[in-house]
Amino acid sequence: MNAHSKTDIRELSYAEAIREAMDIAMANDERVILMGEDIGVYGGAFGVTGDLIEKYGPDRVMDTPISELGGAGVAVGAALTGLRPIFEFQFSDFATLGMEQIVNQAAKIRYMLGGAVSVPVVMRFPAGSGTGAAAQHSQSLEAWTAHVPGLKVVQPATPEDAKGLLLAALEDPDPVMIYEHKILYKMKGHVPEGHYTTPIGKAAIVREGKDLTIVATAIMVHKALEAAEKLAAEGIDVEVIDLRTVRPMDRETVLASVRKTGRLICVYEGVKTLGVGAEVSAMVAESDAFDFLDAPIVRLGGAECPIPYNPELEKAVVPQVPGIIDAARNLAKGRI
Amino acid sequence: MPVEVIMPKVDMDMASGKVMSWHIAEGEAVSKGEPLFDIETDKAAMEVEAPADGILHHMAPEGAEIPIGTPCAWLYAEGEEVGEQPKPFAGMGGDTARSSDAKEPAEETRVEPPEAAETETHAAETARTDETGAADGERTRATPAARALAKEEDIDLSSLTGSGPRGRVQAEDVRQAIKARASSPSVMQASAPAVFRPETGSLSVTRSKGGTGTPVVLIHGFASDSVSWAPLEAHIRHRPLIRIDLPAHGKSPKLRIDSFADLVKTVRRAFDDLDLSEAHLVGHSLGGAVCLALADTRSKSLSSLTLIAPAGLGPDINGDALAGICRASRAESLGPWLRSLVANEDIVTDSYTRLAMAARSEPNLRAAQIALADALFPDGVQAFDLRAALERIDTPTRVIWGRKDAIIPWKHALRAPGKMALHLFDDVGHMPQLEAADEVGKIIHSIV
Repeated sequence: MNAHSKTDIRELSYAEAIREAMDIAMANDERVILMGEDIGVYGGAFGVTGDLIEKYGPDRVMDTPISELGGAGVAVGAALTGLRPIFEFQFSDFATLGMEQIVNQAAKIRYMLGGAVSVPVVMRFPAGSGTGAAAQHSQSLEAWTAHVPGLKVVQPATPEDAKGLLLAALEDPDPVMIYEHKILYKMKGHVPEGHYTTPIGKAAIVREGKDLTIVATAIMVHKALEAAEKLAAEGIDVEVIDLRTVRPMDRETVLASVRKTGRLICVYEGVKTLGVGAEVSAMVAESDAFDFLDAPIVRLGGAECPIPYNPELEKAVVPQVPGIIDAARNLAKGRI
Repeated sequence: MPVEVIMPKVDMDMASGKVMSWHIAEGEAVSKGEPLFDIETDKAAMEVEAPADGILHHMAPEGAEIPIGTPCAWLYAEGEEVGEQPKPFAGMGGDTARSSDAKEPAEETRVEPPEAAETETHAAETARTDETGAADGERTRATPAARALAKEEDIDLSSLTGSGPRGRVQAEDVRQAIKARASSPSVMQASAPAVFRPETGSLSVTRSKGGTGTPVVLIHGFASDSVSWAPLEAHIRHRPLIRIDLPAHGKSPKLRIDSFADLVKTVRRAFDDLDLSEAHLVGHSLGGAVCLALADTRSKSLSSLTLIAPAGLGPDINGDALAGICRASRAESLGPWLRSLVANEDIVTDSYTRLAMAARSEPNLRAAQIALADALFPDGVQAFDLRAALERIDTPTRVIWGRKDAIIPWKHALRAPGKMALHLFDDVGHMPQLEAADEVGKIIHSIV
């Protein structure tokens, strides 16, 4: 998946992989600092920063006050002065309070100052549903930031990419938003040792197939893969693409796949309307790959409602494996 | 100049063909139209006939894969000097094999779109009225992939019946149409023995011994003959049985038939000559279509009508199989196509195939049937439509079909109006009277 040498098969959780990336970056580059609410002594709401404060001290692992606007502003300012801050929003939902700094400052300053400066800030957004945390703590708002030129937006789906994309983000001269699905934090997977990067703007074909393409993001990659395995038993050969980066989107990988299969399903947890899958669909419809479509494009996204607290309803409002299987089967058999 | 013997394109997916065996040895003379060599494709073994009179030289070795459209031997005129092989075999081992000139002839032999305006109009009517519910005058629903493919292959989308939701034409529908177009005209025309010598005379009619009461008249299907009724006849011997051989079939003369109307006229004359005051009529496939047309004009003398997998109720028909059966001149090339007639291929044993081939051994019979197929099923499409007749007739009618019919889609049966009985057999192909002889026999027994 990445252009680096893998020397062993070592497993880490997604959260551990992120922590390791931050650790490596901080050890290599003293400009790298961590900021966010409860990330220091407490180790982060989801334990991602862990004990890094012990290793690097409170000057480089800074607890910020309960003001997302303030914290994000300090991070943007620090980036402008030449530091490489990694700012964690405790829940991505709370980033709404920091939008001024993200949208009007981080994304704009380089343009408005004629390229004289850049804002190499990295922001981390714990996102997604499935934790029983209800409407204000479960959203998938990546499409908000992805709508803003000047920002880069990534959604790692695996521990390996969580580490690789964070290290790539730190090397990027511009603001990079990393949406981390909270349910994935405990997911284990192979993570190479040492420093490596996963390229921003490059999707991954995580399963090759010929009958239809599923473009998925974050946790939906895993649901799509599970669906694909079951569909394979029915003789339906699904290609699964992990989009990995929402902006800038990997046009070529998606289009090449659609040219091959002629059928596309977009699966994403954010609200379906005007979401990431809407952009993927439109990109395909506007491209030459249109001529290869042999069925309408299907989007499976979040329902038009806030995420409910009731666990059954919470599951019902986002795409699940049986729904993906149904849609893929109908699409492959020419019923849609 | 020697004449090139070209590896023909016999189906769409074919990039090359394997030379299985030569019928003629190096240096021997061959006449145009004579079987020259056998080729093997994914689907079947086929014979290729000599494109001209000549003496055979420079043959590709047996077992060689030769790209379509490129030469696999040369025919020299009597006395013509035979020197070096004019050019190496393309696609075979040698360095020069992949030279660009090997590709060009392949392009030249591309199957040109046939002139099929009449057929397309007919099919378009079907598309508008079928159960998919596409309203008259509505733009054709088609996927981008289907449109792109149709444009590239010069296929009229409005002539296709889409298999997708709301009749949407999908790429696969276009691929099927391309296949049908590629197989029927090219194979039939290219392989027609040089001359079809039309004959004259009246159709052959045979009668069973014994039986009393209202007679049963049996009309067989395309490329078959009256002998094919034997398994069914066992169940209805208590009635006099009268079998009519279609023109260019069985013992009937090889008449020139230019259209379905022409065919019906010929059979109607034979039927009228029987001078029956009352009869039960049973027809299979093309014979079913003929029976239906007879019922339309001779209803007064008919007690019942039984249509087994009849033609005439929709445009689709398996052009590959028609062409393959027509052109086969040996049991080896006939067998695979015969197997497509049935759901249970075990029925088509080697001896069955040999017998079937023996019945079709006369080249003029095959030539006549190829001409008939060209008239009735141009481009692999049924060029006649009897659905109106099906609505019109008052004769008590039943339609019998196998749901695994690979020649004519069984769903055409659903076009029968409510007053008709419908018998659909699972796991039965195009030959219910053979594959489900007992059941079909009982059904007909209950009527006659």
